[in-house]
Order: sequence, then C-alpha cells, then structure tokens
Amino acid sequence: MGHPVTTNPFIIMMINMTVVFIVLVALSFLIQLIHKIDPTKEPEEKESAPHVEEDEMQRIIKNVKSSKTVTHLDVPGEDDDSIPEEVIAAIVAAIARCGINGEVRAVRLADKNNTAWKSNARSNLGGRR
Amino acid sequence: MEFVDAFVVSLQSVWNDSGFSSFTVGNGVMIVVGLLLLYMAFVKEFEPLLLGPIAFGCILANFPNTGFFGEEMNVMKAINLGIQYEIFPPLIFLGIGAMTDFGPLLARPWTLLLGAAAQIGVFVALAGAMIVGFDVKEAAAIGIIGGADGPTSIYLSIKLAPHLLGAIAVAAYTYMSLVPMIQPPIMKLLTTQKEREVVMTELRQVTKFERVVFPIVATIFISLLLPPIAALLGMLMLGNLLRESGVTDRLSDTAQNSLCNIVTIFLATGTGMTMNADDFLKADTLLIICLGLIAFMGGTAGGVLLGKVMCRVTGWKINPLIGSAGVSAVPMAARVSQLVGMKAKPGNYLLMHAMGPNVAGVIGTAVAAGTMLAMLK
Repeated sequence: MGHPVTTNPFIIMMINMTVVFIVLVALSFLIQLIHKIDPTKEPEEKESAPHVEEDEMQRIIKNVKSSKTVTHLDVPGEDDDSIPEEVIAAIVAAIARCGINGEVRAVRLADKNNTAWKSNARSNLGGRR
Repeated sequence: MEFVDAFVVSLQSVWNDSGFSSFTVGNGVMIVVGLLLLYMAFVKEFEPLLLGPIAFGCILANFPNTGFFGEEMNVMKAINLGIQYEIFPPLIFLGIGAMTDFGPLLARPWTLLLGAAAQIGVFVALAGAMIVGFDVKEAAAIGIIGGADGPTSIYLSIKLAPHLLGAIAVAAYTYMSLVPMIQPPIMKLLTTQKEREVVMTELRQVTKFERVVFPIVATIFISLLLPPIAALLGMLMLGNLLRESGVTDRLSDTAQNSLCNIVTIFLATGTGMTMNADDFLKADTLLIICLGLIAFMGGTAGGVLLGKVMCRVTGWKINPLIGSAGVSAVPMAARVSQLVGMKAKPGNYLLMHAMGPNVAGVIGTAVAAGTMLAMLK
C-alpha cells in the first residue's frame, strides 16, 4: 500500500461522507430507473385491483337478501363508518356458499390502518416470540 | 533408581511441553474475558451465534504451546488463513444477500439516504481515532465499527490494520448484540412523541423484474466505481439474485442456511483466535472499544436526524425512528425501530418500513469501506 492521499481527519471525513451520499443517491436513481423501464409493471398493477362485475354483485346480493341464512344481524359501527347493507349481504353470501350453517351475529370494520405490511410484520413478530 | 530418573525426566518433559509452563497472567485474563463473552452469548443471549464461537476462539487462542499458528498446517491455521485472505467476509455477505428482502428498499429508494446518513458515525469515530493518536489506516478500520457490520469491519481491518482485527471484531459484534440497548435511548432523545407516532403509508408492490435487475445493476455500478469492495458487494448481490431469481432455490437455501452457518462458525472462531493476550491486552483495545461505541451512537443519531428532516420535508409522512435502522445490523436495527415505534403508538408497525434503511445501511457501510480503501491504500 502507498501513502494516503491526506491525513487530515476532517477532510477525510467530509470526502468520504460526500462519496457515500453520491453513490447511494446514484443507486437510488438507478432503482427509480429500473422501476420506470419495468415492462411487467402495468399488468401487475391491473391484476392487483380485480373488480367484480356489477351485475354479478347485484345478483348475489339479491339472492342473499332472499335467503333464510340470516336470521338476525347486529352491525356495531361508528356513525360515519357504517357498513353498507350490500357489503354485509356479500359477506353472508360468501359464508353460506362455504356450506356453513348458522347466523352472522355481528360484522365490524377492521382497523383502517391494518395494511398487508402491518399484518405481515405482526405475524413476523409473533413468530419470533 | 534408573526408573525414578526416567520418570522424573518424563514428568519434566511433559511439564515443559504443557501450557502451564508458559502460561502468563495475560493468558489468564484473556481466558476470563472469553468466559465472560461466553456468559453474554449463552446466558444473556447477546448474539449467541457469533459471540459464542468468538468467545471460545478467544479461550483457545490463549493456551500456550498449541502450535496453532506455527509452520505446520492445522485446522486452526486454515481457519485463520480464511480470515487473512478475506475469504469468509464475502461468503457471509453471500448468505446475508440470500436472506435479505430488498423489496422495502426498492419500494422506497430514498431510504438509501438514511443508510448514508447513518454512516456519519463511521467518520466521526475515524476523526476521533486520529485525534487520540491512531494513524489514518488504523482510524479508518476503527471507524467502520460504526457501520455495525461485522464482515465489513473484519474485511477493512485485514486490509488496513490487521494487528487491530481482534479488538475491532469484538467491538463490532459486541455493539451489534447490544443494539436493543444502545439505540432506543438515542432514538427517544432525538425525537418527539409526535414524531414517534407518525404512521407510514403502505409500501408499493415491487415486481420480480425489479428484484432481479437491481442486484445485477448495483453490482455493475458499485464494482466499477469502487473495485476494492467488489467481492463484498458482488457476493451480497449474488446471494440476493439467487433468492429472487426463483429458479435457484437450492443454491439460495444453501447460501442462507448451511453455507452461512458453516462460514459463521469459521469466521467467528477465527476472529476469537486473534484475541491472544499479546495483541489484545493493550490500552489501544480500550480506546477502540470506546471509539466503537461513539461510532455506533453517532451512526444511530445521524440516521434519526436525517429521518427528522425527511419527516418535516414530506409533511409528517416518514417516521424518523426508521432512520436508526440505517446502521446495518440486519434485521436487529429494524426490529428496534419497530419496538420503539410500537411503544410510542401501539399498532404502528414500522418493521417493513425500517427494512429499507437497514438494507441501505449494509450497502452504505460497504461503500464507506470501499471509499476509505480507495483513499487510504
């Protein structure tokens, strides 16, 4: 090894920090570039938001409303966050279709902040304990 | 009478060849240090996978007359050569790459800045080490402790200050194991309750294309820019590529389990074996341990402070606690961010958000090491 370029600690500190920032900023731009040129990006985004045909949904709701599966339904919820009747009907229909006999007693909204990442983190932490 | 003489001569010979005849107070002290480290590893569970073999290596290194580092080849010498020739640190990086999900980093590329900010501890300690009398190469090797990255610390020490390897490796791994104790007070000191309660939005979906292309592009870019760390970064990215490609599951599994475990045993035991009394029991060792702590605290503070700036700039969309994960102790630093965030606001899960800066810290520390190698060699 030869002689160092400088032995001034402050200069070494400043130069190194600058280089580290420049390299990592450049890497950050590269990541954004990869995202921009990603040919698989659009199809995946479309797949991530599947939608149900409106007519199909109406048909299910109508069937559930006329079904005898729901004998009593109590919907606790906040005034501004009440669950639409159609949504409840769809949930009940899904349960009935699974062949489960009984009645749905309550439906409540999940925590709005309960994202997939959070669920993942929660299960991850749970697993480590 | 002849029998008695022969018996005495034999006994003398056994005694002269035994370790007891050459045993020094320093050896005794280092064996006690090794036992203390064993206690921390197995009873207190501070990084037992690393501290355990390091501690045992330390005990082994302080038995006189073992011939471990003599001219004849033996297993201990072979392990030591693996460190001297920088074979083990890149192999550990291969395992780390195979174990690490780069998704959070790819979803939020700006977290690389937090990884960069956390490297400030490295350079603060470097300056501090030079001020207290270490030469520039020794100071650089000491400073890298602040990156909280064992393999990189060993890698840089071997290249710049091999005589300090034992002290630096022990300091690095000890502080890594103490991340849950060292970081939270600094994080709380530098942030307000309101900042700690910031809830971050969900990360975007990262495609397979991005996951596969990134390690390739990053390897090309960093290896061309900083060739001295091509082995470290290259192996990190290869490990990640094996994980993400989806067609090399067996290799990925080997890299992150069997191979990583085997190399960890060799690297940690070999590192412990550098802790012989002659090299370790010096005033410099205490200085290195103190400077390592300063580096570590500085790195944590640097990440959190940039996190605070980002929090303000983005209109309270970033929790500054994820900045502390910019030191590269993966995934422990991210878990500390998560735990401190959860204490401030139950239900606020920061783990995946903190993994971005955490991975950035691994890359940042390697880049800092490469920069210092380029400047100081």
